[in-house]
Amino acid sequence: MSDFSNRRIARRDFLKMAAATGLTGAAGMPWGNVAHAADPLNFFTWSAAVDQVKSHLNAFEAKHGIKVSYNNAPWAQYRETMITKFVGRAPLDVLWVSDTWLPEWADAGWIAPVDGFPELMKYNADVDDFSTKSMQYKGRQYGLTYYTDYMAFFYDEDKLKKAGIAAPPATWEEVVAQSLKIKKAGLSEYPLMLSMARESWLIEFMSALVFSHGGRFVDDAGNAVMQDPKQGARAALQWVVDAVNKHKIVSPACVEIGELNGLKSFSSGNHAFALLGRYRIRTLNDPAQSQIGGRVRQALMPAGPGGSHATVGWMRFHGMTAQAAADKTRAANAAKLIEWFGGKADGKYQFQKLLFMDVGSGFATKPLFQDPEVRAAYQKYSDIAMFEKQQALARKKDVVSRWYGEWDEQNGSAWQSAIVGKATIDEALKKSAQSWNDLKKQS
Amino acid sequence: MSARSTALRGIFGHPVSGYDQRSGMLLLAPMMAVLLVVAVFPVVYSFWISLFDLKLTRPHRVPFVGFDNYVKVFHDALFWSSVGRTAMFTVMAVSAIMLIALLMALLLNEQFRGRRFLSAMLLVPWAIPYVANGLMWKWIYDSGYGALNGLLYQLDFIDKYMVWLGDTRKTLPLIANAFVWKEVPLATILLLVTMKSIPADLYSAAKVDGADVWRRFFHVTLPALRPGFTLVMIYETMMAVRHFDLFFILTEGGPAEASHVVAWEVYVESFRRLSFGTGSALAYIMALVTFLLAFSIIRTMGRKL
Repeated sequence: MSDFSNRRIARRDFLKMAAATGLTGAAGMPWGNVAHAADPLNFFTWSAAVDQVKSHLNAFEAKHGIKVSYNNAPWAQYRETMITKFVGRAPLDVLWVSDTWLPEWADAGWIAPVDGFPELMKYNADVDDFSTKSMQYKGRQYGLTYYTDYMAFFYDEDKLKKAGIAAPPATWEEVVAQSLKIKKAGLSEYPLMLSMARESWLIEFMSALVFSHGGRFVDDAGNAVMQDPKQGARAALQWVVDAVNKHKIVSPACVEIGELNGLKSFSSGNHAFALLGRYRIRTLNDPAQSQIGGRVRQALMPAGPGGSHATVGWMRFHGMTAQAAADKTRAANAAKLIEWFGGKADGKYQFQKLLFMDVGSGFATKPLFQDPEVRAAYQKYSDIAMFEKQQALARKKDVVSRWYGEWDEQNGSAWQSAIVGKATIDEALKKSAQSWNDLKKQS
Repeated sequence: MSARSTALRGIFGHPVSGYDQRSGMLLLAPMMAVLLVVAVFPVVYSFWISLFDLKLTRPHRVPFVGFDNYVKVFHDALFWSSVGRTAMFTVMAVSAIMLIALLMALLLNEQFRGRRFLSAMLLVPWAIPYVANGLMWKWIYDSGYGALNGLLYQLDFIDKYMVWLGDTRKTLPLIANAFVWKEVPLATILLLVTMKSIPADLYSAAKVDGADVWRRFFHVTLPALRPGFTLVMIYETMMAVRHFDLFFILTEGGPAEASHVVAWEVYVESFRRLSFGTGSALAYIMALVTFLLAFSIIRTMGRKL
């Protein structure tokens, strides 16, 4: 027997040995995988339209002979998943990006501008201005859009007729008047469906209300103006608070109703008006999915006093990682992939059209509004002229910033506090503005 | 000294058989390595992280800030209001669990027809995962189509559908109710086991002394249940203080911070704001408070076990 076998093993030695074993094991793990030029392109999206993405990818691989490794993660965890991948230097080349994450990801150096590729920039001429602006940060453009949509105002034509209302409301004051009439006629207890639950949709609802009231959260210099009674969000929040507490045309449960539950509630025939994503019209007018199928119409976003029919738009785009941009060959291949999805494939805007035809999602590429197939498909369930008219009035969110995520938490809570009466409107907006200014200062 | 104790002592310093000792250590080493990697390292590393201003969204600047994250947490008004809500939730939930579990245990301790069926049914809420439990209660509490409104309306208790989770006065008690529903079975079983171990002689003696059913309950059953109560109180307090799932599924901390508890704050700080430094500090504070609570319960109730 060797000396070692007879040696006493002290507790400390044992722990050292165990730690060394663990570290040795850990050292063998593949940390910080970086793709090499010959590896397939790494393409990451959230789990939406997966079949459409795969079929379009297959066509890309066949056409260009470039291999693509495709993966996806649920939308709800996408931001956190991607940030962890960026920090862990996971191999990524092309990915889907939401407009709200652009400053955060660009400033961290995780995604790279694509404006050095003229073959991509030429598509800006065909794209709605607010959508292009949503892909730009500090004067650089970071991708090409494949999906763009906006917050729309819908009404149940049947209920309006029954209440003796000839035309949908054009102003928020008319929304109140018509809602009270509908309420009085016993057609709906809460005629307007408004979702004010704390979720990622909340800022879209709030922005639509604020923009149509002629207000803003933040000025062009990035300073908080939401608390300003003249140009801020006060009029919009006041309207919501009155709608819930004074006129009782919006359910006090709005603070617990998210966008999806709002859709269900409106489609079950409980309301006469609703603020929802424009793309929901397809579901709303489908009798198989909606009890008010065939009765839902879109109107321009009602205007507040001194406001307009403006609404908020959002968009998602294909971006390129800084990792891919650092390698000339990969960057060129990534640009081809971005063009295939965000621009034209074989001379046509195929992917946007595919998504629109299959799932009804919106687009910012204006030529598609003239596409006969698109027009014919949309006319089956809504009015494409209204779709286009309202989209022309859509604006990008003014709160998109590096600290947007943190501020959004505070702002959502502040608005809810005012709605449930735990804070005055001025207190809520002051708190929200304070939070914005603090975060801006810290950043 | 027995052979066993000699062998045990041998492991850490007193050689008994070098060969056996070496084999034992080698066999244990992989598990120790795994434990070091998956348990000890994360705990120590998260404390280390709590000393840095680490934000994943700002990866290039991670300054060492010492205990500033802890100071920042203690100066945050939202933290203290969330501590208050956590305390309120814990008191409501643990009191209700103890009371209902005691009544259930007393019932199941009796012999009656259907007792076994009832015992089996009691386990159902316990067997349901927390996420499923949360989704179920979300449906029940929904103000538009929820079962609670439907039931109360059909029974003529309400004349129109009520707002439940959206009413800030009701939010916390309703979440506590969902938590209690899930936790009562385990607490009942723990109390029932303790109840079964009470010697029948004690009841016989009490009867001989002329004690009625109430006296027997207060002077025999309740004192004998002290170990079970202590265990239930420690376990449920720890569960309630750290509870996150229902807050995430039912309200996401809202409306208007009505359900913004400490566990929610840890989640928001760590996984939404991606501020791992402050998030780790908050998690350590919560762990310390949980430990102190458990310790004080043991000190006050356990010393008389």
